[in-house]
Order: sequence, then C-alpha cells, then structure tokens
Amino acid sequence: MTAAVLALIAAAPCIYWTQGIESRPALESAGIKRLCVPPDQMEVWRKAGFTVTAVSDADLAQREALPAPGITSRAGVASPTRAPWIIASGWRFMREPAGKFGYVLAAPGKAALALAEASAYGADAVVKIDAGDVPSAGAMLAFVDSLPPLDLPPVADFGVVDDGSPIAGEAMNLLARRNLLFEVEKAVSPRFRVNVAIGTPAYPREEAADPSAFAQKIRAQLTDEQRSLRVYGSEVVIARLTSDGRRARLHLINYGGRDIEGLRVRVRGPYHGGDAYVAGTGKVALQDQVAADGAIEFSLPKISAYAVVDLR
Amino acid sequence: MHRRAFVRLLAATAASVKAAGLNLAAKGRISPDGLQIRSDLPTLKIVSRYSPAAAPGMPGPFPGRVVAVKSDRCVDTTTNTANDQVVREMMAQGMRALTGATTTADAWRRFFTPADVVGIKVNCGGYPNCISAYEIVGETVRQLLALGIPVSQIYVYERYQNQMDECNYAAHVAEGVQTVAAERANRNTDNSGYDPETYLEANLFGEEDTRSNMMRLVSTRLTKIINIPNMKDHGATGATGCLKNIAYGSFSNVARTHQRGKSHTYSVVGTLAAMEPLRSRTVLQIMDGIRGVWHGGPFARTTKYLFYPKQIMFGTDPVAIDRLLLDIIDNERKAHGAISIWDRSPSSLRIDDGRARDADPNVNIIIREPGHVEYAASLGLGVYDLAKIKVQELTV
Repeated sequence: MTAAVLALIAAAPCIYWTQGIESRPALESAGIKRLCVPPDQMEVWRKAGFTVTAVSDADLAQREALPAPGITSRAGVASPTRAPWIIASGWRFMREPAGKFGYVLAAPGKAALALAEASAYGADAVVKIDAGDVPSAGAMLAFVDSLPPLDLPPVADFGVVDDGSPIAGEAMNLLARRNLLFEVEKAVSPRFRVNVAIGTPAYPREEAADPSAFAQKIRAQLTDEQRSLRVYGSEVVIARLTSDGRRARLHLINYGGRDIEGLRVRVRGPYHGGDAYVAGTGKVALQDQVAADGAIEFSLPKISAYAVVDLR
Repeated sequence: MHRRAFVRLLAATAASVKAAGLNLAAKGRISPDGLQIRSDLPTLKIVSRYSPAAAPGMPGPFPGRVVAVKSDRCVDTTTNTANDQVVREMMAQGMRALTGATTTADAWRRFFTPADVVGIKVNCGGYPNCISAYEIVGETVRQLLALGIPVSQIYVYERYQNQMDECNYAAHVAEGVQTVAAERANRNTDNSGYDPETYLEANLFGEEDTRSNMMRLVSTRLTKIINIPNMKDHGATGATGCLKNIAYGSFSNVARTHQRGKSHTYSVVGTLAAMEPLRSRTVLQIMDGIRGVWHGGPFARTTKYLFYPKQIMFGTDPVAIDRLLLDIIDNERKAHGAISIWDRSPSSLRIDDGRARDADPNVNIIIREPGHVEYAASLGLGVYDLAKIKVQELTV
C-alpha cells in the first residue's frame, strides 16, 4: 500500500465494497468515486475511474470493530434521565487516534451516520455498507468533501488518564455522550483543573462502575457554566469541538434518526459569528445569535445526521 | 442580538426575579403570607428579557375570587356530549358575575380590546373524552370577534400539533382562527417554535438539555392569553388545572421534571407560570369542569375515570381556582375509594408502571405534588388559603 493511499484512508472514511463492477452505475449515481475493495477487484475498479484501496475481509476483521451508530431505548439502564442510549464511537476514536476501525453495517439506514461519525473525528475507518445505503452514503461523503478545509486542535475541559481498562472506556463513552469535552492522557496533565484518573482516591474504581453517575460527578466538578460547549434541544446530539482560540469548528452528530429543528448551542470563546454546513442542506446561517460574556449562542434551523459549524 | 441587548436581558432577569420576591437559590422559606415552602427544591434560573406589566394578568384584578357556574343540563352524560346553548348561557352569566358588567360584551371588554392578539390555551391531553370543550372555546372565539378583534388575531394553541389535529378545534371556531402548536409531536426534535432567549434553566435529574423555553407565539406575538384547562387528576402534580395547563403548555422540555417516582413539579409549575411575559399576558382563566378525570390523568383515552362536575369556573386567579380543583379531584377520588392525591406513602408507589396505575386508582407512579398550587401562591400568582377565597356559585 502506498503512502499516498494510506494518507487518503486516514483523511476520510472509506466505503468497503465487495460487489462487482456491474454495480458501478449505482455508485456513480451516488457520486461515490472512492472505494475500498478486495485486492482481486482493485484493477477493474481502477480502470473504471475509481480511486481504490485494497482491503480484504481479513484486513477488515483485523480492524477494531465498531457498532452501528444510533440510539436504542435503553433509558434507565445506564442513565438517570429519559434520554435514549446512544451508540457512538467518538470516544473510541479519541482513545486511539491512530487506530484502524471498521464498521460492518448489516442493516440499511446507518451508513451516512457512520461516515459522519468517522469524518467528524478524522478516524481511519472502513465502512462496509448495505447496498441500499449507497445513495445516502454518497451524499454524506459529498457533504464531507464540500466542507472548507480547517484543521484545528480539539478543545478539552478536562483530562482523562486512560489506563486501558474497560471501565475507563465506558467512562469515556458516557462522558463523550454528555458532551463533556475531555482529552485522553497518559498521565495527569497540569493543563487541566480536573484530571480524571480512575482508581485514585478522587475517582475510585467503584464510582466509575456506574459510568452515568460518574459522568455527573465530573460534570458537577466542571460546572455547566464553565463548560466550553452546551447543546440544548436534544439529548441525542454528540459534538466535537476544535479551536485555535480565534476560530472554532464544531461537529454535531445527530444519532436520533430524525431531523432536529432549532437545536441551540453555546460555545465559550471570543466568537461573534459563523457559518453552518448541514448535510443534505448545505450552507445555512446561524439563527438567534447572542454573543456576550465570553460565549456565543446560536440556533440551527435544522440538522440531519451531521452538521459542521465554523465560528470566527 | 448585540451585546448591549443581551446585558439588558440579564438585567431584566435579575429584576424579574427580585420583583417576584424570589430567592431561587434559597432552600426553604416561609412566604410573606405564611405559606410554608419546602426545603428540598432544585435551583431554578429564569432568563427573560420581558418586564412584568404594571398589573400582571395573574392574579389579575380578581385575586381570590372565583365564579362557579353549574348546570345539570350542560352535558349529556350518556353520550358525553355538551349542550352548546347551556354552555353559552353559563359563559355569559359567569363572565358578567366575575366582572360585575351588565352585559356580556362589557364583561369581555373588561379584558380585551380590538388591538389585542389573543391566544386561547386549550388542553388536548385528555382526548377524546376530556379536552377543553369545543362549546367553551367556540363561545370564547365568538365573544372575541364580537369585540372587533380580527379573526387573524385569534389563536387557539397547544404544544403539539398532532394533538391539535386530533382535537380539530378549527371545525368548531370561526374560519380564519389560527389553530397552532409549537411542535409537531412530543418527540423532542422540534425546537423552532420556542423562544431561545426566554427560558427556565435547571438540572433536575442530570439531563443534558437543561432548558425549558417559552413558546415564541407567547413571547413574541400574543398580547393576551385566555387559559381553558380541564378538571383533571395528574400523576405528577396531583391535579392539572390552570397553573399546569398554562405553564407546561407554554414551555418546551417539561416532561423532564417528573420521572422515576420523583416530581419536581412542586416548584417548576409555578415558576414557569410566573415567568414573563406569560404571567402578565394571561388575563383570564376559564376552568372547564363540564367533564373531569379523577384518575389516570392527564389522559382520558377511556371513560373509566371520567366524571361530571358539570360546572365552569371563571376568574383571573389561577391559584384560587386550582385550590378548589384539588378538593374536587380529591373528593371524587374519595368517593371511589381511591387514595388521596396527597398520598406520599411508598406502598402506593409503583414507579413507571403505567399499566398498574391505569388499572388501579390506588397506585401512584410518581409521588404527586399537589403542593405546587401553594408554591405558586408563594410566587404571588394568587390566593391559596380557602378562607380567603370567595366563591360565587350560580346555577343555570
């Protein structure tokens, strides 16, 4: 595999496609021109004008398998609220930024969300999709490709020391789900007022065994007022915020399966305006903006599975 | 919005809290009129850029005063059908008695001018058996039109459009009256009908969405509101009447206040009702007691718990009417051998077991908070003390 191809995979998720060249019209109709295909099919797809990367079933199996993103009605199992359980993998991408991931989506309807999720975190992900999802997957990839280039460092309000344990992973899952912005650390960082190291007296392992309550404890330590990001109007949107202090890019992933109108967002920082890009809609203006007291608030008229907001 | 305007917003917030005599961070207090307020209350933050009117609509010009018009003929209990002519007469007599006006038109003129944009807050939650009666809503619209208010300035509203579609008030009011809702359905996906800058913020159960926003219709369009609730039992508040209908029917994201057996409705209902501009603009309370629900409320998908108070109450004080309502619901429950709405015993509690609650009126799924009415009184929304409430009863 060439360095160029490796870079391509790292830059955007790749659709894993095992159907033959006869499926070309469907892919072209969806605007899909980049594929991961079995090695023995590389040549035929390349000759057809596609940018291809060889990925065998064995390659896919070696990647960290990710669940199909979305929501399930597990309210009450791990949350004291009525919010549905979100199946999301952003925390896995944060935990292993150089990791290789694979989605095998057996049922239709999840490809666009998986592609959005992986794109938002810049994850190296291969996505095996149902043929019925080709149009929506193509549209999502086209949307991602249309975004203005902007590479900014992630924003974090606290650190989480990762000991590699499942319990630390589950804590990160719940923290990410609640839009508590953290950075995964190898050791306690002086950059943060709050450093979560599970197994220490401040964060006993027994407490972390209830990840929802554990996330609430950390939320209380941060205080909602001091959090860099708040999302109102939905319990099923997970955000990723990046910023260099002057500009910010906010990724909003909607796991609920339904469009959300009037989502309200508060971002701390010196921002006074911006633009939003919504999958399926394109560029839209921010609504009901309020910039004051070191933060900006705005609403989005509608978001589908994925939206990106650039603040300045 | 520019920074200066936002700062004003914050200043107005502080002012409105102060004006209401509230210290929302306080944990336990005795109100100026001696009401004992519980000590286990969540912190509630109010954000509104609206100042109260010189004379807020609640409790309005008639604090502690309720006119109850009764009629055995107002509803056929065998068919659950209201008698339109009788209801009109009940409405006319009730409005005249409340205001002291000699004509019905003058009574309505006491509250409204042709320049007003009027919202009629109905209750669709008890569809199909106990919703704000078409006959009351229809007569209300007729009287507003008779005052010269253009039809385009009259709104019948609820929170959910699917409920409004079920109830179909449009078929019972003059053409051109706008029947509207803030959300298509109770799915928490549609916030555009709410004012992002007028809200109550509270973290009640660890939810991430900590805001309940006022409907844009209420904050930006309406100048006056008529509240038409029903006489219903409610699993979280004990009873749902004027306060609950206007508060939880005008704000988003309120179901979050009661779950897993616990209800924060005790303080949230009154706090929402007291928020500006809702408090100032809600000028008339017409309690529809033609039908009632004594258990399983606020829903009434079956007639199992339906009863017939056969009355309509008129007033401007939502607390006084709701204080009477608490006894009406509780007495009906007692008549059926059911536990009181004040029951807080763990033995009655079957958390989240809606089927058990629907099957057995001695089951609570949440510890009810009928004390929300008293709490609302402590916010200045009206008179709670039965000894100070003057009820004028009329019979048609």
